[in-house]
Amino acid sequence: MNTDKTYVADIDRSLYDFRFDDRDSYKVKSGLTEDIIREISREKGDPDWMRDFRLASLHIFEETAMPPWGPDISGLDMNNIVTYVRPNTERMHTRWEDVPKDILTTFEKLGIPQSEREALAGVGAQYDSELVYHSVKKEVAEQGVVYTDIESALHGPYADMIREHFMTLVPPTDHKFAALHGAVWSGGSFVYVPPGVTVEIPLQSYFRLNAPGAGQFEHTLIIVDEGANLHFIEGCSAPKYNVANLHAGCVELFVGKNAKLRYSTIENWSKNMYNLNTKRARVEEGGSIEWVSGSFGSHVSYLYPTSLLTGRKASCTFTGVTFAGAGQNLDTGCQVLHEAPDTTSTVNTRSISKSGGVSTFRSAIVVTKDAEGSKSAVSCQSLMLDDISRSDTIPAMDIRTAKADIGHEAKIGRISDDAVFYLMSRGVSEEEAKALIVSGFAENVSKELPLEYAVEMNNLIRLEMKGAIG
Amino acid sequence: MNTRLVNTPPALTFRWLGMNGTEVTVPDETDTHVIDLSRGERRTVRLPDAGADTTVRVRLAEGACLNLVQIRPEGSENTSVLTVEADCGKDAQFHWYRVVTGGGKTYDACTVRLSGDGACFTADVAYRLAGDDVYDAAVTALHSGRKTESTIFASGVLSGQANKLFRGTIDLRKGAKGAVGNETEDVLLLSDDVRNGSLPVILCSEEDVEGNHGASIGQPDEELLYYLQTRGIGREEALAMLAQAKIDAVLRKIPD
Repeated sequence: MNTDKTYVADIDRSLYDFRFDDRDSYKVKSGLTEDIIREISREKGDPDWMRDFRLASLHIFEETAMPPWGPDISGLDMNNIVTYVRPNTERMHTRWEDVPKDILTTFEKLGIPQSEREALAGVGAQYDSELVYHSVKKEVAEQGVVYTDIESALHGPYADMIREHFMTLVPPTDHKFAALHGAVWSGGSFVYVPPGVTVEIPLQSYFRLNAPGAGQFEHTLIIVDEGANLHFIEGCSAPKYNVANLHAGCVELFVGKNAKLRYSTIENWSKNMYNLNTKRARVEEGGSIEWVSGSFGSHVSYLYPTSLLTGRKASCTFTGVTFAGAGQNLDTGCQVLHEAPDTTSTVNTRSISKSGGVSTFRSAIVVTKDAEGSKSAVSCQSLMLDDISRSDTIPAMDIRTAKADIGHEAKIGRISDDAVFYLMSRGVSEEEAKALIVSGFAENVSKELPLEYAVEMNNLIRLEMKGAIG
Repeated sequence: MNTRLVNTPPALTFRWLGMNGTEVTVPDETDTHVIDLSRGERRTVRLPDAGADTTVRVRLAEGACLNLVQIRPEGSENTSVLTVEADCGKDAQFHWYRVVTGGGKTYDACTVRLSGDGACFTADVAYRLAGDDVYDAAVTALHSGRKTESTIFASGVLSGQANKLFRGTIDLRKGAKGAVGNETEDVLLLSDDVRNGSLPVILCSEEDVEGNHGASIGQPDEELLYYLQTRGIGREEALAMLAQAKIDAVLRKIPD
């Protein structure tokens, strides 16, 4: 390393790396067979249609090739992945006191019960393959808001709604890991916000994977009905193991006419995780989807939240930051399909690469013939903190109507010497100056998060940047 | 006639977009040119493009400068498949002027290796497509020398059912300290039946570099059209003027 460079330390993951013995009460054998799928389905008490759906998805998985265009995932061997691990508790609880002690300790260390008391309208907490806790504030429930796990919803009064929507936005034929998800999904959340209801403070689901060599395949299904408004926060982490873990979740968001949904994610998986997640939103007339996405963890990520703007004047904003450090290859971005007139999209991303990390911004903006009067603006900026890392931008645009206004800009570079010099001339050390510049670089995301999450994100960045002049 | 996969970009995008290379029926007629400039030599070369499977190999020694002008004539009805491969030594300059003013199908692959320190590449590409014209291009600047520079500029107009796909890649490789790559694309769309594809890529594995790209795709500026109309110019004529301006932006740069 050059002697005149600021040493940038690896992230201090002690907050996330604690772990407990893998004392699951039940897990299937590793690998993926029809018998294992039937076993998962039986254990979960699936209705028949869901069992058949799983089996059909398994066949699609077997027939679908690996994606040929992204980061290398040859280190992921499905034969070594345990696809279902039920934690050591019999059912989902609605009081933290009832959650087994080590699981409760995990979530306390992550600050979830405290956040629930202070700033959230409801919380779901998943440990390995199952939800262990789910609760929604009484006043929110009284508005008619439904927030529960998918399994309960499959058997309750919302069973038809689940069946009508489940994996319709992300069908198992979409790609290999969507098919895998269809076969082995477990856990996740179902949210329904009735017409005209505004949920004033956010709901949050937190996904924790504790078992080594396991996969987590939670399914999040959110329906925000006409004129309703919701902010949903998703968090995730895992301790680091020497074996590969896999996350292939699926998020399906249905945003109704004139409804608004903000979906925020701070992803901080451990660096042995293959994060092959699929998120998709369909937005009807006048509705809006706002994605706020921070990607900090994982060994390999494929993550491109997709917005289908199907109604006139539907809109999408995507704000993202990706921080790739040693041993990480984070391929992130978004896709927007303008399928109706006067739709708009705004994409604003930042990526940072250091210590040999690879970050790739990959996007697709598609404007169909029907999307007259549509507008899209994409801006992506990348920062290289050393000369052993890598940063790529691969944006694509496919425009099929003349009545569109599409703008795109991208920039890759290093921290400006002038900016560092300016700050140093004001009495700031070089190290502090660079940390300040990187924090400011990621401000597009932190300013969109609730205060406590923005503070957590800034802490993550500052920890990354903490070091000494070498 | 043979078919061949052309214009596969150095970095692939989502497969469903169909931008990761194009299968083309290659003309039987082949044409090969080798342009080898010695140290300090300067030359302007114009190569006709009447529709063939054409390969141009360029080698530029230290300080050499080549202006390569390739204009696809208006009214072409056949297929042109062009491959330009260039190696640029220290302080060499390669300026590629490519004008496609309509007719037939045109497939361009231009790959320039800037391995000598201080080497420079500029691509000025203009296209005017109508009817069912096709223009499919991949222009790639590979920076490995220090303080190398590349500028990829593409400007064009689509009408009718024209189909255009432009892939520009700036690859800033390790060791290319001080390198700068810029890419700009400016596309005017005049019909609702066109298809415009753009894939402007920057790949970067060096810290001390700068890569920028910008793209603007859409309709003519209504305020500008209004201004021209207040000066007594009809809307159709004003549109034609704006379209011609896109081509002139490149034609004007071509050396005499």
